[in-house]
Amino acid sequence: MAERETSERRLHLLALGVFVVGVASIAGILAGPPAIITYYGWTPYEGMVTALQSDTAAVTAIASMSAGMAAIALGFGSYRRMPTKRSRERAIAGAVLGSQAVLLGAAFLSFRSGRVERITFHFLNIEKLDGSGGAFLRGAKNTLLLALGGEVGGVVLGLVLAILAVSKRRTVRAPARVYINFFRGTPLIWQISTGYFALTLGLGIRVSAFAVALLVFALNTGAYASEVFRAGIQSIERGQMEAARSLGMSYGQAMRYAIVPQVFRRVIPPLMNEFVILIKDTSLIIALGLQESQLDIYNFARRGYADSFNATYFTAAALAYLAVTLPLIWLVNRVERRLRSGLVGVTG
Amino acid sequence: MTAGERAALIRLAGVHKRFGENHVLRGIDLSVAPGEVVVVIGASGSGKSTLLRCINLLEEPSEGGVFFDGHDITDIRTDVNQVRTHIGIVFQAYNLFPHKTAIGNIMLALRKVLKLDVEEARDRAIQELRHVGLEQKADAYPGQLSGGQQQRVAIARALAMRPMLILFDEVTSALDPELVQEVLDVMKRLASEGMTMVVVTHEMRFARDVADRVVFIDEGAIVEEGSPEAIFGDPKHERTRKFLSRVL
Repeated sequence: MAERETSERRLHLLALGVFVVGVASIAGILAGPPAIITYYGWTPYEGMVTALQSDTAAVTAIASMSAGMAAIALGFGSYRRMPTKRSRERAIAGAVLGSQAVLLGAAFLSFRSGRVERITFHFLNIEKLDGSGGAFLRGAKNTLLLALGGEVGGVVLGLVLAILAVSKRRTVRAPARVYINFFRGTPLIWQISTGYFALTLGLGIRVSAFAVALLVFALNTGAYASEVFRAGIQSIERGQMEAARSLGMSYGQAMRYAIVPQVFRRVIPPLMNEFVILIKDTSLIIALGLQESQLDIYNFARRGYADSFNATYFTAAALAYLAVTLPLIWLVNRVERRLRSGLVGVTG
Repeated sequence: MTAGERAALIRLAGVHKRFGENHVLRGIDLSVAPGEVVVVIGASGSGKSTLLRCINLLEEPSEGGVFFDGHDITDIRTDVNQVRTHIGIVFQAYNLFPHKTAIGNIMLALRKVLKLDVEEARDRAIQELRHVGLEQKADAYPGQLSGGQQQRVAIARALAMRPMLILFDEVTSALDPELVQEVLDVMKRLASEGMTMVVVTHEMRFARDVADRVVFIDEGAIVEEGSPEAIFGDPKHERTRKFLSRVL
């Protein structure tokens, strides 16, 4: 009996050890290189090169990988024998983290043995960005403005289109279908450029390129949002419409008071997903000749690249997009969880 | 005790219903007098739910007339929404609006259809919740209520419209056995208060205790109708006897 207890205690300790080693390995490879670069300095880029090529960096990577391999061997070798679920999960987590550290370490070592100087100069040359922080912020603002305007207009349009599209009358459905299929069936970049030329050259309307972009984003998003709404409407149980109609409500009242509020709850996650897609699609205003102050993130980065011949602008653009989209994605998940709980009405 | 034609609150005359090839109702003639409780029994697929749903035109009869208070409501010019305010229905699946609280469910049609002001609608909603014994659940969402409680809210929602007639479509079939009685008790009380009711159910004891008239339907046609004593005690038709021997 006592013997068994000792062996169990030893296994628990082993699991804990594997977990700690696994965490250390991944922390080493994730935090090591940035720490070394910070020591040598992020700017100028030569400092980064020295840091990456230093022996310290190599040793850090190899040490992390060794720890990772130890965690893999011990963790995968022992998890089946673990006496409790908790210890088994610890051993597995340690081994998995270890494998990730090994993969990252290998990637880092291969990067380090390549043309570090060139890549660093072209993609991580922070100095070259100097003074463009404000312009990036303005780009982010324009990107958000275009996406938000397009999304709001698109949601309103989409709801109207969806209600037409679920009509039992073919004459009502048909125009909605034509619209939806046209805007889903042609490229957004074609809609933007043709829309602009058609309005300005064709109809002679004096309208800014930015306004056209906003309008086309709304028209395009409307088509996609309407399909989301239509699926949402059709996902509501038939009994809901029957209950509303049985209480004397007209079809329109039933839609408005009984069906659509429920639909909104169901479609918020896919609509926000559309929004995240639209944020990235704002870069398609490349088709229009925009002024400096109206550029979005991507087109600002392109201009920066053209002026400086340095691709660090694109690296920064990715970070700028993530700075906008990640909080949004986080928000989508939260909203989704809240709505899933099923107790809160969106419309109160 | 069939009421005279003129006094009938609802009268189905030669009603047929086809779903494509499927001939579900085959010539139904049925009258319900004010204050009467008619219970429709029959096997699954016999057409009893379709019959009930033809009364408030949730199903449109393929043939025949539905007379409500003397008017044929299958006439295309009828204001169906107006008629439906007088005919309540309670469904097997409750069909409460999940985004509204219990009281919100009841107030919605009072506000939007009957155009009552907020105070009046709320008073009436609370009154009907009390009627089904759930006033303390006024602010609960359907998802927070048991099946039996949800069904009682659904009954209160129908009652709040002050209908002349309530239809019950297998309202206890989706309930856990221990929750059936609370709903049947509410229905019994309504019957004793003189509400006109057409009830489709598998609860034979309820039919025997509460019905003024029992209608047995099979393959889309009324086979036999009469007092509960007659139907349960001395069924005339072979098919009725067979059905009753299976369910009793």
